[in-house]
Amino acid sequence: MDQNNNPPPYAQGAMTPGIPIFSPMMLYGTGLTPQPIQNTNSLSILEEQQRQQQQQQQQQQAAVAAVQQSTSQQATQGASGQTPQLFHSQTLTTAPLPGTTPLYPSPMTPITPATPASESSGIVPQLQNIVSTVNFGCKLDLKTIALHAGNAEYNSKWFAAVIMRIREPWTTALIFSSGKMVRTGAKSEEQSRLAARKYARVVQKLGVPAKFLDFKIQNMVGSCDVKFPIRLEGFVLTHQQFSSYEPELFPGLIHRMIKPRIVLLIFVSGKVILTGAKVRAEIYEAFENIYPILKGFRKTT
Amino acid sequence: MPGGGRCPDCGSTELVEDSHYSQNQLVCSDCGCVVTEGVLTTTYTDEGNLREVTYSRSTGENEQVSRSQQRGLRRVRDLCRVLQLPPTFEDTAVAYYQQAYQHSGIRAARLQKKEVLVGCCVLITCRQRNWPLTMGTICTLLYADLDMFSGTYMQMVRLLGLDVPSLCLVDLVKTYCSSFKLFEASPSVPAKYVEDKEKMLSRTLQLVELADETWLVTGRHPLPVITAATFLAWQSLRPSDRLTCSLARFCKLANVDLPYPASSRLQELLAVLLRLAEQLAWLQVLKLDKRSVVAHIGDLLQHRHMLVRKAFRDGTAEPGALDAREEELQGPGQGQGWGREDRGHGSLDLPAGKRPASPALLLPPCMLKPPKRICPTPPVSTVTGDENISDSEIEQYLRTPQEVRDFQRAQATRQAATSVPNPP
Repeated sequence: MDQNNNPPPYAQGAMTPGIPIFSPMMLYGTGLTPQPIQNTNSLSILEEQQRQQQQQQQQQQAAVAAVQQSTSQQATQGASGQTPQLFHSQTLTTAPLPGTTPLYPSPMTPITPATPASESSGIVPQLQNIVSTVNFGCKLDLKTIALHAGNAEYNSKWFAAVIMRIREPWTTALIFSSGKMVRTGAKSEEQSRLAARKYARVVQKLGVPAKFLDFKIQNMVGSCDVKFPIRLEGFVLTHQQFSSYEPELFPGLIHRMIKPRIVLLIFVSGKVILTGAKVRAEIYEAFENIYPILKGFRKTT
Repeated sequence: MPGGGRCPDCGSTELVEDSHYSQNQLVCSDCGCVVTEGVLTTTYTDEGNLREVTYSRSTGENEQVSRSQQRGLRRVRDLCRVLQLPPTFEDTAVAYYQQAYQHSGIRAARLQKKEVLVGCCVLITCRQRNWPLTMGTICTLLYADLDMFSGTYMQMVRLLGLDVPSLCLVDLVKTYCSSFKLFEASPSVPAKYVEDKEKMLSRTLQLVELADETWLVTGRHPLPVITAATFLAWQSLRPSDRLTCSLARFCKLANVDLPYPASSRLQELLAVLLRLAEQLAWLQVLKLDKRSVVAHIGDLLQHRHMLVRKAFRDGTAEPGALDAREEELQGPGQGQGWGREDRGHGSLDLPAGKRPASPALLLPPCMLKPPKRICPTPPVSTVTGDENISDSEIEQYLRTPQEVRDFQRAQATRQAATSVPNPP
């Protein structure tokens, strides 16, 4: 697939502000480049910003009483699980939106907040899985680790890593002899970091001087349901350069969005799976990009 | 010839030039001592002229097509001939193979993958020229499994940046139906089972179109739907003789493989037809079931567009509009039912308050079935990632020394057991 220089048609035009506050997309407004989280420091900056934003939001909610009617309208559209008032404060902020801006790190242009509430999808993708890596900074003896840790599997003939699991949060990790660890299974970035620290503690207790270097989130997977059936054959006709629909191979349509660089699996039942993101905002942005297009394929002839 | 040199050993001047194989040597003819030796090989400077063309360039191996590529190209041509494709397809498929071969990932792939690549090139060519060829056919011809084929196919489409159009359903129906061996009587096909090709084809196309409209085709493999539609079309053209024939027997008669999902597609299609039948007044009284509806497929297909609109309400419509539409549908339907009743029979078979069944939702079957397991929404967790990790929590993951000893002992016994497979 070639990389287009022109943005795809659906990325132009007014983008909907239906992205909830707690996403790290606030980074765009503060001028920080939205890099994947490198170390503990940037996470705490993120949390500070979230707290600030929540304070702002609470102030604005006091002024939102007049907009209550659009709350009910949104609720009937089948908002799944998220409180509607987030969207109203979103419409009133002047936060710049990632959808209309070119790829980072160019400066972000703010957008007028007066978009009607009915354009936002009201649906928030749920994160299902996060894959992250961390470096312990020292070589490990896998046989000893597998022997002394009760929750570890190691079979050197099949795979050259120890597979360790912990219960809270329920995650699995692959620990390699070079000292690097790949972690999967958490449902949020914070859980992922907590789990990585727990693995590091387990390894430390086994006598290894493990450090916690280069914690990086490699991939995030989210899923959501638009609750109406989608004509996949029609979709692939209009978006042929980005989509691949082979019913003989797989029942879903594979859509590779260029901006943000996310792969979406779209099924006839209306369920959408988004993967390939390094930050949560990319998933939300990708879903907001695709939702108006999916709505266009809602009505059958 | 001696040129004024003297032998260092015996002092004689009788020095002879004697080439020992290719090496020039100056030898004393009296004592045999070797005075000087030539160089066995050429010097670097001597070879300067010989270095103009490297070995690999002189053999021309980079310009030539490698043997494995040649084999692949031959396979492409053979496959096109086996499938009886037009000659222009062959050239396009060969061009695709050569294009793919230029990528290092493909060049270094295993032979199995190169074999499958042959099929991919042919498939892409056929798709681009709207020639209906399924992946199943190609996999059968190449003795490849679908997983391997799908991986190579997706890789090739991505590497070459190709635009491959979808399989055209109408063409596939025509080709697939024509392959059924039911159009002439033969020892295995009794006369009552023989059918006219055009009639069967047109009816199958209408049934497949109906299936497409009612969400039975999107997201599914097309072939089982077409098999089910062909079977129903064939049955409905002479229901009295053919209702007793099952789908499996039909496929065996027609000398066609029965795809596994075809029976469930058949049930879904029959359910749709039953729903349509409920909207036709003269069929409502008959209280049709899955067998008896087959006889009326002709009528149902004739009015299918109107019936689909009446029988199914749009599953995606706004809730507000739905009630208005329901009333509008039930009004004329009821009136029609009453009207015909009065005209036809004079006695009221239907009870006074009966209406036609309320329209079902027009949704894909996966949305109509109840979910297999309820996925609870995860509780909003307030994890910050920086919490304290208690020692006791970590301790639970470590083995006690006693456990370690037990584990080691168990491992040792297991290894001893496996190293002595057949104890005497």
